[in-house]
Amino acid sequence: MLPPAKLAVGAAVMALATAYLAYLGASTSWRYYVHVDECAQTKEAFIGQRLRVSGRISAETLIVRADRSRATFTLEGQQARLPVSCLGPLPDNLAEDMEVVVEGILQSNGELRGDKVLTRCASKYEADGERLSGQ
Amino acid sequence: MRTFGELCLLTAFVAAGYSASACLFAQHSRWARLERSGIGAAILSSLALTGTLVALGWSLIVKDFELEYVAHYTNRTLPWHYTLSALWVGQAGSLLLWTWLLTLLSIVFLFTAPQSGPIRTGSLGILLANVCFLTAIMVFAADPMKASLAPRSEGLGLSPLLQHPSMLIHPPIVFLAYAAWTVPFALATSALIFGDQNGQWTHAARPWAIFAWIVLAAGLLLGADWAYQELGWGGYWGWDPVENGSLIPWLTGTALVHGLMAWRHRGCLKRMTVSLALLTFGLCNFATFLTRSGIFSSVHAFSQSPIGWMFLGLMAVLLLGGGALVVYRWRELAAERPIRSIWAREALVLFSVFLLLLLTSVVLVGTLYTPLSTLLVGRIVQIGPAFYNNVLMPIGLLLLITTAVVPLLRWGTAPRKSGQVALLICGLLAAVGGAGAAAAFGLRHPVAIIVATATVLVVLTTAAGVLLDIRRRSTMRLLPATWSALRSNRRQYAGYFVHLGFACVAIGVTGSSLGTRRYDVDLNEGEVIEWAGRRIEAVRLVQREEEDKLVAEFELRVSCSGSGPVVLKPARHFYVAQDQWTTEVATHSTWAGDFYTILHAGLGEGRVAITLMDIPLMRFIWLGGWLAAGGAMVAAWPTRAKQTRQGGQLGDEQSSAVPAADRRRLAA
Repeated sequence: MLPPAKLAVGAAVMALATAYLAYLGASTSWRYYVHVDECAQTKEAFIGQRLRVSGRISAETLIVRADRSRATFTLEGQQARLPVSCLGPLPDNLAEDMEVVVEGILQSNGELRGDKVLTRCASKYEADGERLSGQ
Repeated sequence: MRTFGELCLLTAFVAAGYSASACLFAQHSRWARLERSGIGAAILSSLALTGTLVALGWSLIVKDFELEYVAHYTNRTLPWHYTLSALWVGQAGSLLLWTWLLTLLSIVFLFTAPQSGPIRTGSLGILLANVCFLTAIMVFAADPMKASLAPRSEGLGLSPLLQHPSMLIHPPIVFLAYAAWTVPFALATSALIFGDQNGQWTHAARPWAIFAWIVLAAGLLLGADWAYQELGWGGYWGWDPVENGSLIPWLTGTALVHGLMAWRHRGCLKRMTVSLALLTFGLCNFATFLTRSGIFSSVHAFSQSPIGWMFLGLMAVLLLGGGALVVYRWRELAAERPIRSIWAREALVLFSVFLLLLLTSVVLVGTLYTPLSTLLVGRIVQIGPAFYNNVLMPIGLLLLITTAVVPLLRWGTAPRKSGQVALLICGLLAAVGGAGAAAAFGLRHPVAIIVATATVLVVLTTAAGVLLDIRRRSTMRLLPATWSALRSNRRQYAGYFVHLGFACVAIGVTGSSLGTRRYDVDLNEGEVIEWAGRRIEAVRLVQREEEDKLVAEFELRVSCSGSGPVVLKPARHFYVAQDQWTTEVATHSTWAGDFYTILHAGLGEGRVAITLMDIPLMRFIWLGGWLAAGGAMVAAWPTRAKQTRQGGQLGDEQSSAVPAADRRRLAA
C-alpha cells in the first residue's frame, strides 16, 4: 500500500472514532433548552428530564440562603411562572428581575430543581439601554 | 473632539476604499502611479484611524459623557487604567481598536515585506479592503463617536467583572491576533489571484503566521487566567461559544504554521496550506459573528445587532471566493514531490493537521449545535463539556505522541538507522519513566500515565535529536559541533521548544482535570482545620470601605509540611455604582498545585461559608504557554535566507556553518 493510501486509511479510522466519541459525549450531556412559557405549556413531556430553562426572576421571590449554597425563586415568562429551587454555587450577580438560565430536573410537582444558574455574562458588547435611559 | 473623530473615521473609510481599489487595480494595469497613490492612501487611512482612536481615548479620559460610548462604559469613580480599557470593552470601541491594529500591521507589512511586486502590493490592497469593510461597519452601524441622546453628568461605569488586570490586555491581544491572521490570508489570496509559481508568499507569510499564533495563544491563556481568577469557580475553560470562537482559528492557525513548513521544505501540501490560510482568517470573522450576532441567547448578553451577520456574510464570501481561486489554481498547487514514507516528517505534518482539523470540526459542531438544533430536531438542544472532552482527550494524546517522535524523523524519507534505534531506546526509556512517575506520584488514571509517558518521550526524543545532529558533525570538536548544530537548526530546535511547552500544558490540563479536590465548609474566626495535607487557620473577617466598593475579606493562614505559613485573603467586593457583588479568590500557587479559596458569604458573628480547592499542576499550564511563546518567537526571528528549490527559503538551516564534508553527509 502506498503511503498516501495508508494515511488515508488512518485518517478515515480517526474520523470514525472521533465521530463515535463525539456522539457518545453528546448523548450523555445533551439537554433541552426551553423558555419558561414553553416549559409550562408542555410540562408533562419534560417531567424527570434534565433541562435548561430561561426566564426572568420574578420580583420579590428571590430568597438566598445565608451561605449562598441554595436559592429559591420564581421564573416568569410572558404567560407562565415556574417555581425553582437551586442548590450549588450561585453567581455573584444573581438578582430579581434578571434574565437567567437554570439547569436542572423538572419535578412532577411542577418545581424545577436546579443545580446550576447561569446569569447573563457581564460581557463586552452589551448595551444596557434600560439602565441608561432610566437615568 | 467628537467632530474631529468623526472626520478622521470618514477619511479612513474613504482612503482605505481608494487604497484597496488602487493597489489591486494597479496590478492589472501595471500603472505605477496608481500603485504609489494606493500606498499613500493606506498610510493616510492609518493616520486617520489613529486620530479617531486618540479622539475616543481622550474622551474616555476626560469622561466626556456627551459621547454615548463614554457614558456606557465609564463613570467618574473608575480608575484611569480601567477607563482606558473601556476603549475595547464596547462593540464600537473594540471594532475601532481592531481596525487601527490592522492598519498598523498593514503599514508594518508594507515596509517589511521581502519583495516588491504584485504579491506585496496585491496583499496590501486586500488588507486595506478589510480595513474598508471594518470602517464601513463603524461609519454605518457602530459609530464609536456617536453623541448621547440626552445630556448626562455621570456614566454607567465598567462591569466589575471586567475590572481585572487580565482584561486590560486580553481583548487587545485577541484583536491583534485577528488583525495579524489577515496578513497570511492576504498573501495567500494575492498569490492565488496574481499567480505565484515559486511559493514566494510562504516566505512572507511564515513570520506573520507565527506571530499571529503566539498572540492568539497568549489571548486564549489570558482569557483562561481571567476566568480562573475572576469568575471564582476554580476552572479556566468552560467550552463557552466565545472561548470556542477564538480557539477554532488558533487550531487551524497551528495547522497552517505546520503546512507552511511542509511547503517550504518539500513543496508538498500546497492546496491544504493555502486553504488553511483562507480558512483561519475566515474563522476569525466567524468568531466575531459568534460574539456579536446574538444567536446565543442562553448565557451571554450579546447585542442583537446586524453586525455579526455582516461578518458571517464576509466569511461566506471569503470562503466561496477563496475556494474558487484554489480550484482555479488547482494544477499549479500540485505537490512537487509525493509523500514517500508514512515515517517522513511531511507525513506526520499531514497527520497532525488532520487531527487539528478533526478537533476544529468537533468544536465547531459543538458551538453551532445549539442554534442549528431547532432545524435538526425541532427544539433547542444544548450539549455539555463531555461532548468536547470525549474527543479532546484521544486527539490531544495522539498529538502529544506525534510531537514526541518528530525530532527523530526527517523530511522526505523514513528515519535513518540511528534515528530508528534512538526512537526505540527513547520509547523504552519513556515507558520506564512513565511507570516510575505513576509509582512516585500515585498516578492511577490511564490518561495521566499516558501523558506522563508521552512527556518523558518528548524530552528524550528532543535531546536525542539534538545529540544526533551534533554527532553527525563528526569532523568538528564537541563544542563547535554543538554551536554549529544550534546555529544551523535554530528554527527547528525552537519548534521542539514549542512542543515541550505543549507537553507542559498537557501535564497541567491533565492534573487539574483529573486531580481537583473541593471542600465546602463553614468556618469561625480562630477555627483550625486540616485538609489536603494542609493546616488551615481561619484568622479573622475584615470589612472595609473603599472609594468605589465595600470589601469583605477573610484571612486564612495556610501551612503545609515543609514550608512556612502563607496568608490568603479570599474576599467579596460590593460595587456600589453597579449594585453588584464580585468574588475575589485567593490562591497559593506551587509546582505541585494551586490552593484555591473562595469566600461565598458571611453567616454572622465571624462565621463564613468558604470553598477550598486543591488543583494539581496548574502552574504547568502557564509555564507551557511561556515555553511555547518563547520557542515560537525564536522560530519567527528573521534570519539570513537562502533560496531553496521550492522558491521558499530555508533560513539558516543547512547553512555554511556546517563544514562541507558534513554538509555532504547531511545531504546524503
